[in-house]
Amino acid sequence: MSGQYHRSHSRAWFMERPAYIRFMIRELTSFFMAAYLIVLIITLAKVGAGEAAAAEWLQALSTTGWKVAHAVALAATVWHTITFFAAVPQAMPIYIGEDRVPAPIAKIVMGYGPWVTVTAIILWGVLR
Amino acid sequence: MPDNETITLELFRYHPETDSEPRFQSYEVPYDEDWVVLDAINWIKDYVDGSVTHRWSCRMGVCGSCGMMVNGEPKLTCAAFLKNYYPFPIKVEPLVNFPVERDLVVDMEGFMDKLQDVKPYIIRDDVNDTSQGEYRQSPAELAQYKQYSMCINCMLCYAACPVVGHEDEFLGPAALALGHRYNKDSRDQGQSERLEVMLSSEAMWGCTFVGECSVVCPKHVDPAGAIQQAKAMGAQEYFKRFVMPKGAGATKGAGA
Ligand code: SF4
Ligand code: FES
Repeated sequence: MSGQYHRSHSRAWFMERPAYIRFMIRELTSFFMAAYLIVLIITLAKVGAGEAAAAEWLQALSTTGWKVAHAVALAATVWHTITFFAAVPQAMPIYIGEDRVPAPIAKIVMGYGPWVTVTAIILWGVLR
Repeated sequence: MPDNETITLELFRYHPETDSEPRFQSYEVPYDEDWVVLDAINWIKDYVDGSVTHRWSCRMGVCGSCGMMVNGEPKLTCAAFLKNYYPFPIKVEPLVNFPVERDLVVDMEGFMDKLQDVKPYIIRDDVNDTSQGEYRQSPAELAQYKQYSMCINCMLCYAACPVVGHEDEFLGPAALALGHRYNKDSRDQGQSERLEVMLSSEAMWGCTFVGECSVVCPKHVDPAGAIQQAKAMGAQEYFKRFVMPKGAGATKGAGA
């Protein structure tokens, strides 16, 4: 008997390390984001189709099931956004001369700052 | 703590001449809080069982040869202190995602080939003769790639990466970070040539950004970050080739 020994991974490889589970959760949140985007596109189409169609659609969305679905989609989207912003300083480092801008600052400058600003502008537009 | 304290090491054993399957063997080792896992394995080899096979050299986190799985985590065993595990047993295995040669030693050949694939050297169109002096570089230009040049080829990142574990052809974290290191070097002109290799699906697009490579890296190379940056460079390169098929790219390799 001679030769190398090859070890393989199980189908449930993502259970091997907590970080792999976190990765799978992050990937799964994309599904909810995509689903929410489809709902949003339908909503825009209904709005485009006229006031009656929009009202009917909004009425349909006001059921408990849809509210729960929206809450889940919101939670998934927020989590996806947090993980995305966490990756921004790694993927897009900013240098000032020879110094790299520290990750917490880069996250605010390129992630949370613009996010909060745009959200505030939208809220102001909607609520005013 | 009394002098006669011991700690148990469970070592992965596999001798290809005699074993068809690996097994674990337990050893009682004197516990010393200044000892690292590598000291304990060396003690076993010196005083208990000379057939135990493992790799090591510098004992100070520089050579990158002592990487093993310690309780399931890829670690440099010369930097993994027994006191962080005591009094519980420590399970030591060869790095996962590599074929096992013998006991704790893995086959590095595929890894070395992948390092070569990314052309890890400076490529120039115009090679100055020495009378013109060195290629000068400012501290700011050095800062762009210095982090990615700190790799010690310990392969811990390959053991942490699920893509490496599932796709043999995936170039993997250290090789891609090394390619990126040269792409970011202001003296280099070989980005297009290098991206030729790095742009293939088995190369950097295989990376799904799990990010564990950067977590386990003992030298803070951040291969995950390097790969995401390389993807952005690759996308730009692809776009340039698309709009300017002939003149392709701002940078050009010497061999191109
Ligand atoms: S990138 Fe880090 S973990 Fe990977 S081989 Fe280099 S030093 Fe080791
Ligand atoms: S023995 Fe050299 S890095 Fe551990």
